[in-house]
Amino acid sequence: MRRVVAFWLIAVLGASLAEAAQNAPQRVRAFAALPDWTGLWETEVSRAVNRLSGKPAGNELEAINKSVQLVGPAPYTEAWGKKLQADLSTPAAAVGASTAKLCTYGFPMIMDVFQIFQAVVTPEETLFVFDNGEVRHIYTDGRGHPGKDDLWPTAMGDSVGHWEGETLVIDTVARTEGSLRMGPNSLSAQAHFTERVRRLDKNDLEDQLTVDDPVALMHPWKLTLHYTRAADLDRMLPWDCANDRNPVVDGKLSVAPP
Amino acid sequence: MWRSLTSGLALLLIARSGEAHHSGAMFDAQQSITLNGTVRLFQWTNPHCWIQLLVPSQTGTTEWSIEMGSNAQLYRNGWRSNTLNPGQKIIVIIHPVRDGTAAGLFVSATAADGSFLGRAPAPASP
Repeated sequence: MRRVVAFWLIAVLGASLAEAAQNAPQRVRAFAALPDWTGLWETEVSRAVNRLSGKPAGNELEAINKSVQLVGPAPYTEAWGKKLQADLSTPAAAVGASTAKLCTYGFPMIMDVFQIFQAVVTPEETLFVFDNGEVRHIYTDGRGHPGKDDLWPTAMGDSVGHWEGETLVIDTVARTEGSLRMGPNSLSAQAHFTERVRRLDKNDLEDQLTVDDPVALMHPWKLTLHYTRAADLDRMLPWDCANDRNPVVDGKLSVAPP
Repeated sequence: MWRSLTSGLALLLIARSGEAHHSGAMFDAQQSITLNGTVRLFQWTNPHCWIQLLVPSQTGTTEWSIEMGSNAQLYRNGWRSNTLNPGQKIIVIIHPVRDGTAAGLFVSATAADGSFLGRAPAPASP
């Protein structure tokens, strides 16, 4: 009896090792075929803000604002434009805009702001890991989006992707309807995002983003986002909101001494 | 019509976009004040670092709260968590808050010997 058990144990173990040995070279080859996006990446606005030890103000702020494309004009349908105008015209919206404190951005704004990110490319998925703790998971194992019973709106939406040469093509749906968090723009729950991400050279990464939204937009909204390597950083520096000393008092931001 | 109105609102709301955490509207960027004082506390924190500075005044001593960028932002500008220590005498330039409280937005700082704290600001573009 003991011999029989021992035989089967050895047989199972041997089969597992054989499978692992078979899979390893495949996975190594899959990794080797992927582009190298290691390092930390940042937008132009991140570079501009990080030149300062305080906050941008005056002309500096104006110049920085212009480089955030997702707060620029979007090709809204007339109906969505009127809805947006009504939403933004309330006194509460004005107070909300002047007192907003942003610690997370959600997709797509996270791709166009100050947060530095690391791109982790594996055969099964690519992750964009941001310094404020937000993460985009882009599954590249051949799956599609979940069925409607398994899919609900989230700040990041649901992303799947595939490789066309060294370009990662990303398809994102199920973003929560509403504001893009920063600036005046908003999108409906029907928004559908396509991205083509590729490295232009050693220090430049590009994301061609197309936003389709049959409810909010007259035609696709196309943007090209550009990132450069944060060459002065050798590790991710965490950014959080642990010490918020700006309470809202009487509808205005204030300073609270410790 | 709706586009121009939305565009106007965009100008209002866009003011917050160049900020890492909150609007800078509370600070008067047209005014600069120079404070000569002693560090009580340096908070190396996120989303903002802060200097608590004791400044001699007509009524004795006034404590100023000076808001800076994030520590990651300061790190890239040559600051470290031990750049300032309690008791250190420094000169700080700030944009004051609009409501008159003893607080402001950090612009630059020098040590008592005149050397810049952190990296010296880049010269203004011509």
